[in-house]
Amino acid sequence: METNKRQVILLSLIESMKVQGSWCGETHIQKSMYFLQTMCNVPTDYDFILYKHGPFSFELKDGLGDMRGNMMVELCSRIPYGPSYRSSETGKALIERYPKTVDLYKKEINFIAKQFSTLGVAELERLATALYVSVEEGDNSIEARAQRINKLKPHIPVSVAGDAIQVVEKLSCEYARVTA
Amino acid sequence: MAKNSHEIRDPIHIFIRLSTDERKVVDSIPFQRLRNIHQLAMSYLIYPGATHKRFEHSLGVMELASRVFDIVSNQDNIHPIVRELIPEISVKAKLGYWRSALRMAALCHDLGHLPFSHAAEEALLADGWNHEKITVEFIRSEEMKQIWESMTPPLRVEDIVKLAVGQKKLKDTRFSDWEALLSEIITSDAFGVDRIDYLLRDSHHTGVAYGKFDHFRLVDTLRILPKSANQTDSIEPVLGIEEGGLHSAEALLLARYFMYTQVYFHQVRRIYDIHLCDYLLKWLPDGKFPTDIYKLQNISDNDVLAAVWQAAVNKSHQLHELACRLVKREHYRRLYERNPEDLSVNPHIGQVIFDQIKEAFGEENVRRDNYTQKDNMMDFPVLCNDGRIIPAFLLSETLKRLPVASFDYIFIKPNLLREGQVWRKNNMQKMLSMVAREE
Repeated sequence: METNKRQVILLSLIESMKVQGSWCGETHIQKSMYFLQTMCNVPTDYDFILYKHGPFSFELKDGLGDMRGNMMVELCSRIPYGPSYRSSETGKALIERYPKTVDLYKKEINFIAKQFSTLGVAELERLATALYVSVEEGDNSIEARAQRINKLKPHIPVSVAGDAIQVVEKLSCEYARVTA
Repeated sequence: MAKNSHEIRDPIHIFIRLSTDERKVVDSIPFQRLRNIHQLAMSYLIYPGATHKRFEHSLGVMELASRVFDIVSNQDNIHPIVRELIPEISVKAKLGYWRSALRMAALCHDLGHLPFSHAAEEALLADGWNHEKITVEFIRSEEMKQIWESMTPPLRVEDIVKLAVGQKKLKDTRFSDWEALLSEIITSDAFGVDRIDYLLRDSHHTGVAYGKFDHFRLVDTLRILPKSANQTDSIEPVLGIEEGGLHSAEALLLARYFMYTQVYFHQVRRIYDIHLCDYLLKWLPDGKFPTDIYKLQNISDNDVLAAVWQAAVNKSHQLHELACRLVKREHYRRLYERNPEDLSVNPHIGQVIFDQIKEAFGEENVRRDNYTQKDNMMDFPVLCNDGRIIPAFLLSETLKRLPVASFDYIFIKPNLLREGQVWRKNNMQKMLSMVAREE
């Protein structure tokens, strides 16, 4: 996907997350973008790996840095949270100039923002890890995938991992229903 | 009895100590090659003192890596959440092995650099290659493998690979949290020792004092901390700092910003990088450096410089003009530098000007270079004196206000500069209004 369109999708996601009450820290954006790309098949093509606590894209991290350097996003803070991203005037103007891209992925962006914006970071990490492992080992049972998550990330107990997989499966069904 | 500990004098760390085993790595051909690779490419044409090489930088990174390791693995400095998340950190019997592996990874982290370091790596290597991939090839080479196996204790090649290159560049390799953290000691953008050493060293050699900071205090206060101590937030372990080190961390990040804007993004340095790339594209067979390490290790900065000089003094040489840009300072001149005012009107102004000027003056007469400093959002946990863990961003007004270093330059051939300036003046308003829009 061309850079401008990719930036527009990222900016739209940030806007939509803000509307839904997200703090919009980097982890929120990372995990929400992972769901948008993987669960909703929005072709942003960020290269996600399973990092210490869940799927993470260095490319997305650098992309946010580029957008900050080019004045498309800004950082702000509020006690007790860390830094939060928001679209700048330049970023908002870019969204307005790409109406077709915004329209094309609006449903997906709103779905992800609605489902994930109010979740805590620890839960986002668990759910995103559950999706990552489910994509890798989709044919295996929930129990087997939960075991796998626990093996890869021992700080997530098997029972919690199993719950996370079930939540992700429900969300996938919900997404299919909403976009049918 | 033979001496097992050796010292090398160094202007930054005073003494760098290494064992006889480690000296075998330093004496190897892949490592000695780094004596002939400039740390800052052709920056010595702007800062005459900047003739230092990857060799001494790599030694410095090794020295710092073990200093950081000793601090963060000191059992008195381990946070209870981290002790639970990373059991390896409490297994004293294995810490010695990981210290050795980390030192060797730090020593070897730059083995794969091309002549003149970073200059235009993407254009000068075959698709899918970068200097990190070549570094991996060197570490896995037969000569190095024999050294790793002969060490006490023997080191696993793949551990050195992982720690030297990090997960960002080894996307298909799985890292444990412990391995990821150790590689972050070298490669992390916030507190990586690669960065700490090059800022201090580049500052020393360029004479740009902005790059200095209190790295002794910084290293002493580094800790592995959970991002948050609150279980509903992320407890992911990362490199953080004790409250007492916050000012030295701020100083590091300011030093980084100033070194970027003063040295790494210096407009003449950037155009020399481009001219060097133009030269190499014509000089190298098929315009590419070999990716076979045994062929690559036979080409150093010295070979390139000798060839450039020969071409510059010989008027009939087919690369004469390209060589003169470097040797006789006939480099392209800056015609435009992006500024916040233009950027707020047109976020793609650099690209617009470049497209227009290529049409007006011909592609061969203009160049563009743009870059934004990577990983610039500096949020790391701070362990407060009362035991709380707070994001640095909340404690530091400096971090909140620290700008991102970024530039976008358009260059033009020296004899066209005047004409180009008039053209720019006449066309600027039009170009500012050429904002990218969806069809």
